[in-house]
Amino acid sequence: MTAALHATTPGGFLLVLAVILPVCAVLAILACGPRSAARIAMATLAAGLAVAVAITVELVWSGAALTYVVGAWRPPLGIALRADGLSGAMLVMTALVVVAVGLFARVQYGLREGGGSERERTTFWQMLLALWSALNIVFVGEDLFNLYVALELLTFAAVPLVCLDGRAETANAALRYLLFALIGSLLYLLGVGLIYGQYGTLDLLALARLSRPDPALSVALALMIVGLLAKAALFPLHLWLPPAHAGAPAQASAVLSALVIKAPIFLILRLVLDVAPGQVAFLAGQLLAVLGAASILFCSVMALRQARLKLMIAYSTVAQIGYLFIVFPLAAGGAGTSPWETIAWTGGALQLISHALAKSAMFLAAGIVIKVYGHDRIADLGGFGRALPISATAFGLAGLSLMGVPPSGGFVAKCLLLTAAVIEGYPWLAVTILLGGLLAGGYVFRIIDKALAVSASPLPSRAGVPRRLELTALALAIAAVLLGFVPLRPFGFLQIGRSGLAMAGL
Amino acid sequence: MTVALQPSVLFGLCGAALVGIGLFAVVSSPGLLRRIVGCNILGAGIFLVFGAVARRGAGAGFEADPVPQALVITGIVVAFSASALAVALLKRLAEPRSDA
Amino acid sequence: MSAPAFLLAAVPLFPLSLALCCLSNWFRARALALLVLAPLPALAAAILVPKGGFAIFPPPFRLTLVLDEPGAILLAGAALLWSAAGAYAASLMARDPGRQRFTVWWFLTLTGSLGLFVVGDVVNFYLLFTLASLAAYGLIIHEQSPPAHRAGVIYVALALAAEALLLIALVMLAAGHPDANPLIRSVVMDLAASPMRDGIVVLFILGFALKMGLVPLHVWLPLAHPAAPTPASAVLSGVVVKAGVIGLIRFLPFEAGAPFWGSVLIGVGVITAYYGVLVGVTQKRAKTILAYSTVSQMGLLAVLLGVGLANADPEAAHLAAYYAVHHTLVKGALFLGVGILAVTGGRRFRLVFLLMGVLALSLGGMPLTSGALAKLATKPLLGYGWLAGAMTLAGAGSTLLMLHLLLILRHYAAEDAATSPLLGQFMPWLVVTAASLVIPWSLYPAVAGEPAASLVTPDALWKVGWPLLLGAGAMLLVQRWPGRLGMIPEGDIVVLAQTGQPLMRSLSNRIGEIDVHLRRWPAAGLGLIALAILLGGALMLRA
Repeated sequence: MTAALHATTPGGFLLVLAVILPVCAVLAILACGPRSAARIAMATLAAGLAVAVAITVELVWSGAALTYVVGAWRPPLGIALRADGLSGAMLVMTALVVVAVGLFARVQYGLREGGGSERERTTFWQMLLALWSALNIVFVGEDLFNLYVALELLTFAAVPLVCLDGRAETANAALRYLLFALIGSLLYLLGVGLIYGQYGTLDLLALARLSRPDPALSVALALMIVGLLAKAALFPLHLWLPPAHAGAPAQASAVLSALVIKAPIFLILRLVLDVAPGQVAFLAGQLLAVLGAASILFCSVMALRQARLKLMIAYSTVAQIGYLFIVFPLAAGGAGTSPWETIAWTGGALQLISHALAKSAMFLAAGIVIKVYGHDRIADLGGFGRALPISATAFGLAGLSLMGVPPSGGFVAKCLLLTAAVIEGYPWLAVTILLGGLLAGGYVFRIIDKALAVSASPLPSRAGVPRRLELTALALAIAAVLLGFVPLRPFGFLQIGRSGLAMAGL
Repeated sequence: MTVALQPSVLFGLCGAALVGIGLFAVVSSPGLLRRIVGCNILGAGIFLVFGAVARRGAGAGFEADPVPQALVITGIVVAFSASALAVALLKRLAEPRSDA
Repeated sequence: MSAPAFLLAAVPLFPLSLALCCLSNWFRARALALLVLAPLPALAAAILVPKGGFAIFPPPFRLTLVLDEPGAILLAGAALLWSAAGAYAASLMARDPGRQRFTVWWFLTLTGSLGLFVVGDVVNFYLLFTLASLAAYGLIIHEQSPPAHRAGVIYVALALAAEALLLIALVMLAAGHPDANPLIRSVVMDLAASPMRDGIVVLFILGFALKMGLVPLHVWLPLAHPAAPTPASAVLSGVVVKAGVIGLIRFLPFEAGAPFWGSVLIGVGVITAYYGVLVGVTQKRAKTILAYSTVSQMGLLAVLLGVGLANADPEAAHLAAYYAVHHTLVKGALFLGVGILAVTGGRRFRLVFLLMGVLALSLGGMPLTSGALAKLATKPLLGYGWLAGAMTLAGAGSTLLMLHLLLILRHYAAEDAATSPLLGQFMPWLVVTAASLVIPWSLYPAVAGEPAASLVTPDALWKVGWPLLLGAGAMLLVQRWPGRLGMIPEGDIVVLAQTGQPLMRSLSNRIGEIDVHLRRWPAAGLGLIALAILLGGALMLRA
C-alpha cells in the first residue's frame, strides 16, 4: 500500500548529497587535521550551496517533489527522503546562511588577533558542517525516527557552538540548553513510539493518509509537539535561549538563531498541518496561536528592556518565532482549500526565511560591533554608525525586515499574515501582529538611534576589521530586503509536491 | 487481572512509571548531575514503552517486529552520546571552580 | 515608454537613484549640490504631463503611477518648495560635518514625499508613505541636540503607530480584492459596499490625522519641525505633512460619501484650527509658532475634506489641494525666511521683514494674497451656515497667530547691521515667496471656476478683509497679557503622556520579573508538562 507513496525520482540522489556532503567534510577534517579545516569547509560550502540550488532548479523544472528511497528499502522498513517546495526553500535558505556565516568566520579567523585558538576554529568548522547536515535531514526526512536522530544531531552540533570560547558562563548556558533540549527530544521520542504502536509506520506521507482521530494519536502528537516546542524555545519555554544565543560568538549565534530553532518549527508545521486530521488540529492550532501571540508580545517587551545588544537580539528571536505559530489557525483553510494554498502558509514560510536572513545579519553585525567596541552595552554604543557604517546599515536593513517595514521579506510575510487574520476573522491576531511590529520598531529603533547619535567619547578605531567582514552581514540583510519583491499571494514554488500529499490525504 | 499480568502491559506500566520518575527528577532536582541522571531514567522508561508498544502493535502484521528493536538500539546510542556530552560539559563547569 | 510615462516614473525614481548613487563616496561628497535638481522631474511632470497620464511597471515592481488634478496641484507646489529648500540647504550646510548623511536622508524623504502624490496602487502607496515617514527622522535629529533626539523619538513612535493603523486599514480594504496589489481607485470604489466600511474609514482618518497633526495627535509636530535645520523644517512643515492630506484625498470615499465620518472630520478640524492658534500664541520661538500654525492650517484642511465627505462632493478634493498648495508655499517661505532674518541686519532687515509680513498675513487671508484666494475659493463649499462663520473666525485666529509671529521676529535681526544673507540662501527664499504670490493666481480660474478679476471687487476684498481686522484687534488685546508667553510647553499635551511613564515602567518591570520566574528551571519544566497536558486535551477535544 505504501509502494505508490515513495519512489526514487531522477534527481533524488541530490537529497543524499545534501545530507552526506557535510558529514564527509567533517570526517575529512578529522582525517586531515586542523590545518586544512578551513579549506575543506570552504570547498564544502560551495558544493553544498550548488546542491541546494540544483535541488531547487530540479523542483522548478519537474514541478513535483524529489524523492529518494534509501537502499531501495521501502517504508515502513526503509526510510525515504523527500523534498517538496517548502523543503527546497528551506534548503536554499540554510545554504545561504551557512555560506555567509562561513565566509564571515573565514575572514574572522584569518585575522591576526581575536582569531581564537586553533581548537576553537576546528571545532567551529566541524560543528557548522555537522549542523548543516542535520538541518538538511530535518528538511528532507520523511521518517519520524530518522527525524529524531537528526534533531539530536542538530542539538549535539549546536551545544558546542554555544560554548566555543569555553568560559564557565557559556558552558553553563550550553548545559542548560542541552538538558532542556534533551527532555524535549525524549518527549518527542515517546510520541514516536506511541505512533508506531498505533499505525505501524513512521513515514510522514503514509501517516498523513492513515491518521484518524483517536486518543493515541492525540497523546502522541501532544508529546511530540511539546517536545519540539522546548527545542524551538517558544514562550514560556524560552529559558535556555537568551543566555545561549547571547553568549555564543557572533558566527555561532547567527546560525543558532537563524537556523537551528527553525528545524523543530518546521517539524511542528508538518505534524500539525500534514499528520493531524483537520478537525483534531483545530483547537490545538488555536492553543499554539495563543502561545505564539504571547511570545510576540512578552518577548518583544523583554527585548526592549535589555541593556545588552546580543541579549536584545536573542529575545527578539523568541518574539519573531511567535509569528510562525499564529500561522496554524490562519492556514487551517476552509472547506476545499488545503493549508498550503492559503496566504497564511506563504506568509509563514516567508517569515521563517526572512527572519533567518535578517537575524543572522543582525548577529554578525553585532559581532563586529563587539569586536570593535569590546562590549555590547547599548548605552555606550553611541555613534557606532559612524565608526562602522556598513555594519550599522546591515543592522538597520535587517531591523526593517523584523519590524515589517516595506520593502522587505518581513513586510510581505506580516502583510500576508495580517490579510489572513482579517479574512479568517481573527481580530486578536491582527492586533497582535500590529503590536508586535510596533514593539519591534521600538527595539530596533533604540539601536538605530544610538548608531546615528554623536558619542561623547572618541570613536574606537576600526583597525583590524576588514570591510569583507562587514559585507557578509550586509549581504544577508540585503537578501532579507530583496525577499520583499515576491508577490503578495500564495507562492507557487511553496506548493510544489504538496498536491501529492493532498491525494495521500484523501 | 490476567490482562495486567501480560508482559506487554507490565512493560508498559513499568515504562510509564520510569518516565514519571525521570520527569520528576529532571524537573525538580536542583543539581545538574541529578538532572542528567533523571534524563537517563526518562530515556530508559521511554525505551521500555517503545518495546511494549511494538510487541502489542505489530501494525504491519509482523510476528515479531524488528523495526522497534532497531529504533531502541539507535535511541540508546543517541541517549548515551547525549549523556556523555552533558557530563563533559559538567566537568568543564566543575574544573575552574576546583582550581579557584 | 511614452514621454509622459517616463516623466512620471522619474518623479520618485530620480531622487531614489540619487540616493542610491550616494553609496559611492565620491558621489556622496558632491551630492549636496544636487539637492536642487532632485525634485525637478516632479515639477516638469506636474506641469507637462496631461491630467490622467499614467505609467505602469510590470511585476516584480508592480508600480502604478497616475497624475490627477489634485495630485498635480500638490506635486507642483511640493516640488518647487523641495527644490528651493534644497538650494537653500546646499548653501547653508556647505561646511556642516554631517552634510553627507543629511543629503541621503533628504533624497529618501524627497522620494517618498513626492512619490505619494502620483502613486496609484495600494502597496507602493504604503511603501512611499513609510519611506517619507521614517527617512524624515534623519532630518529631524540632524543637529543631534538632546531636544532633537527627544523630538525624533516621539516622532518615530507616532509615525510607527500611524504606519500600523494604515497597514491594517489597507489590508482590510484590499482583503476582499482578487488582485494582491489593486489600484487605489478601484478599492476605494468597493469601499462603500465593504462590511468593514466604518472600521476602515476610522483607521484611515486616525492614521492620516497622525501624519497631518490633527489634535490630539499633533504632539510630535511642534517638537519635530523646529528641531530640524531650517530647510528641513520648511519641507517637513510645508510638504511632508501633506502626505496625510493626499492620503485622505485618495482613500476616503468622496463619491459615495459618509456623512457621519464627514462630520467627525469637520469637528476635529475645527477644534484643531482653534487649538493650534491658542497654543501658538503662548510660544516664544518663531519656528514653534510656525509649527503650531501648521497644526491650525491642517485643521482647516480637515474641515474642507470633512465637508466633501459629508456631502459626497468629490470637488472638495480639488479645493483642499488648492488650499494645501497655498499653505505649502507660504509655510515653506516663512520657515526659510526665519533663517534669512537671523542673518540679515540693518536696512535689508526691514525689507525682508516686510515681505515676511506679507507672507504671514497671507496665511490669515490678507486680500490679494494666496491666502485670500484660497479662502474665497473654498467659501462656496462651506456654505453660509455656522461652519462658514467658524472658518472665518479661524482665519482671524490665523492672523492673530501670525501677528504674534511678526512681533517675535522683530527681535531676530542680526547684531551687525552689515550682515546680509548669502545669495544661495536668499534667492531660493525669494523664489518661493514669489511663487506663493503668483501660482495661486494662475490656478484660481481653473479651481474656483470664476475669473481672477472677480477677486478684486470691493465685495470680495471686504469678505476677506474684515477677519483680518478682527485678528489684529484680538492681537491688541492679547498683547496686554505678556504672562502667556512660555505658559504652555512645546508639544503641549505630550507632557500629559509623560505622567503615564511611571505606570509603563512598572508594567515593564513586572514583565521582567515574570520572565525571571518563567526562566527558572522548575517553572519551565512544569510549564512543559502543563503544556503537554493542555495540548493533549486540545487535540482530544475536537471542534
